[in-house]
Amino acid sequence: MPKSIWNGAITFGLVTVPIKVYSATESRTVHFREVHAKDGSRIEHRRICTNDGKEVDYEDVVKGYEVGKGKWVELTDDEIAAAAGSQSKRVDVDHFVPAGEIDPDHYERTYYLGAGDKGRPAYALLHAALEKSGRAGVGRWVFHNRERTVVIRPLDGVLALHTMRFADELVDPGELELGRVRKKPTEREIKMASQLVEGLHAEFDPSEYEDTYRQAVLEVIERKAQGKNIEPPEEAEPERADNLLAALEASLASA
Amino acid sequence: MARSLWTGSLGFGLVNVPVALFSGRVDTDLHFRQLHAKDHAPIEMHRFCAEEDVEVPYEEIANGFETDDGDMVILTDAELATAAPRKTRTIDIEAFVDLDAVDPIHFDHPYILMPSGDSEGTLRAYRLLVAVMGRTDRAALGRFVLRSKEQLVLVRARSERLTLTTMRFHDEVRPTKGIPSPAKRDRPSKKEVDQAVALIEALACPWDPERYEDEYEKRLKRIVQRKRKGQTVEAPKREDDPSPVPDLMAALEKTLADVKARA
Repeated sequence: MPKSIWNGAITFGLVTVPIKVYSATESRTVHFREVHAKDGSRIEHRRICTNDGKEVDYEDVVKGYEVGKGKWVELTDDEIAAAAGSQSKRVDVDHFVPAGEIDPDHYERTYYLGAGDKGRPAYALLHAALEKSGRAGVGRWVFHNRERTVVIRPLDGVLALHTMRFADELVDPGELELGRVRKKPTEREIKMASQLVEGLHAEFDPSEYEDTYRQAVLEVIERKAQGKNIEPPEEAEPERADNLLAALEASLASA
Repeated sequence: MARSLWTGSLGFGLVNVPVALFSGRVDTDLHFRQLHAKDHAPIEMHRFCAEEDVEVPYEEIANGFETDDGDMVILTDAELATAAPRKTRTIDIEAFVDLDAVDPIHFDHPYILMPSGDSEGTLRAYRLLVAVMGRTDRAALGRFVLRSKEQLVLVRARSERLTLTTMRFHDEVRPTKGIPSPAKRDRPSKKEVDQAVALIEALACPWDPERYEDEYEKRLKRIVQRKRKGQTVEAPKREDDPSPVPDLMAALEKTLADVKARA
């Protein structure tokens, strides 16, 4: 049984939908501990004062924001927490957007929303209405003392909540300078490239893509554990495309 | 222009486009630093060997993996690097998929891919990919190695450029099984659904990311300013927890009437 990490309610207007929040994703990267190379003993991170070079106890540590060189404004955890705004247990949804219009770059983390113990009919109603309208609810949520914009939409029989990146947190790709070309890609090249794209078209099935790197790391660990030698691989240099049309033709021929 | 995080090439059939990778994120967060309370001297983290109680330079740090039997397997960075695939300088496109078929739950970090160098051949090949992907609303699925970890990525056209999004693997997405969901008897009536959809439509608007601002960062900046001037900062009071409404239909009707009255 998954464990909820937050309990509260979605509110829109006078409607309250009690919810429990669950993590929807987990990193499965192989994690290593820092160890001393010669004997594998544990490495500790210790706080050292840059002034006297001595270790500092956790109780003697404060948080500071630099407002000028070497000039700090000290803030307590409570003061930082005050930035969260109202510490309410609600996700206030105030409007609904077409889910398909949201650019993927805005999605940050995903959580599943479970129905709270009281008010399951309200959860069922919100789920049904979002599904029928094809829209996603946009609201604000304070989690871990931080207010975020969130999008709520139906997913696989439950509601999913996505925390969203703000517009000013994203680089507009159009602002990166792109060199000019003397000759734009020709219709013929575009047509051939399109054929190549069509030839490689596939239905997206996430289960077809395994994390082969994770597997490879586990194999290296296994070999090392057995005392085997580990050889570094050689780098292969990619070929350059000097003749675009010839490369396209060759790709199509071999596709 | 910001520095690129990686350079290599984007492989599409036999066409290789030299590209440079840039972060798609701007760090707008206020960063705090740990200070020594008595004199506000910044604190640094140093690595110490727990056995010998001596500081350990970075070169002497290795990666330890604890096996299920409690044994510690030690790998140097060079040994760990052997796990990375041979081709670390190419993004190989494996397939083209419909962008809207990829659930947002898979999206991880945003990046931007720009042509590397300004040779005519590179720029033309880059523009060709932009043109083709932009026309079809297809996105390319590929793999590449970033910071010695292999990533599954989605490359697509946006603003005449190519963007790259790293993806979460399918087994990094948890199943929805076990998430409490309503039972059959909780199913709403058609009338209730229609009323709720009417409310959603009354509150409908286009997606406009510029509309949302990071109120948290703004408040935090104000708090720093207040503190700097020696003013006090008070934590906001906790609000009462919301309680479920007894009559769902009445709440829906009342809200819809309120929204319409405001409009």
